[in-house]
Amino acid sequence: MSAQEKYQSLLELANQNGTTYELSDGADGTLVVTGTAPSAEAKQQLWDEYERLDPDFKSNDLILNIGLGDAAGGGGSTYTVEAGDNLSKIAAGYGIQWKAIWDANRDILHHPDKIYPGQELKIPV
Amino acid sequence: MKIKALTIFTLAIALFLSACGKSDAELTKAATDKLAADKVAGVTVAVKDGVATLTGEVADVTVKSKAEASVKGVEGIKSVTNSLTLKPLPVATPAATDPALTGKLNEAMKKVGVTGLTIEVVNGKATIKGTVPAAKYAQAVQAINESGITGWDNQLTKGN
Repeated sequence: MSAQEKYQSLLELANQNGTTYELSDGADGTLVVTGTAPSAEAKQQLWDEYERLDPDFKSNDLILNIGLGDAAGGGGSTYTVEAGDNLSKIAAGYGIQWKAIWDANRDILHHPDKIYPGQELKIPV
Repeated sequence: MKIKALTIFTLAIALFLSACGKSDAELTKAATDKLAADKVAGVTVAVKDGVATLTGEVADVTVKSKAEASVKGVEGIKSVTNSLTLKPLPVATPAATDPALTGKLNEAMKKVGVTGLTIEVVNGKATIKGTVPAAKYAQAVQAINESGITGWDNQLTKGN
């Protein structure tokens, strides 16, 4: 089975969630997927699917290089967390919902209540 | 008497033909229209005895399977022979020279908060050894994937 067939569901997911991608042929038959996701959530969906297909990422047959589009905060601002901050407080400062920040930072946050001083959050504005 | 038998025979033939449904030419057109409606390009359909054969070169495996599903959904098509081929992929180019990629990977690991890894890059392919705390494993793998390398040998161990 080729790497394209193996990761077909991942590519289909990309088509569905609005991620644009290009394929190329990497080192030793590695499938290189380079693309742009419309949101951090869409990108996380792809990573979840990658992990489902290749637990622990040990197959060495895929490079998943997905960036975020400008609208998703790829070109937006960032905020460095300070002691005593929480997502609601940070969001209020930008006039947005806390959930928008949570969605944009799912790649580095694991729980909405757990943010730490020094973390750089992407602000989706 | 002979004429009556002939009439019955003709009627029987007509009935048989209408029961058979669309001709191959009609099915080919229906399948081609369906592909266009589903925005699948570069696929040629030929229908013979209700069996559709798809030929052509498509961008990737998702288009290949979408084309097949699309044509299977056309009423009157009995089965689909998918002879579509995949466009050969361009060769991936590493984003930087090997030493630059090594530096980038070291930097990325530092940012994730993982230390003590051995990173070596040869012709865009990275070999990475060491132990990564389980909580940071996925994040480290993601950063490695986004460094601009074109392949890797993952020799990482998940630690505590």
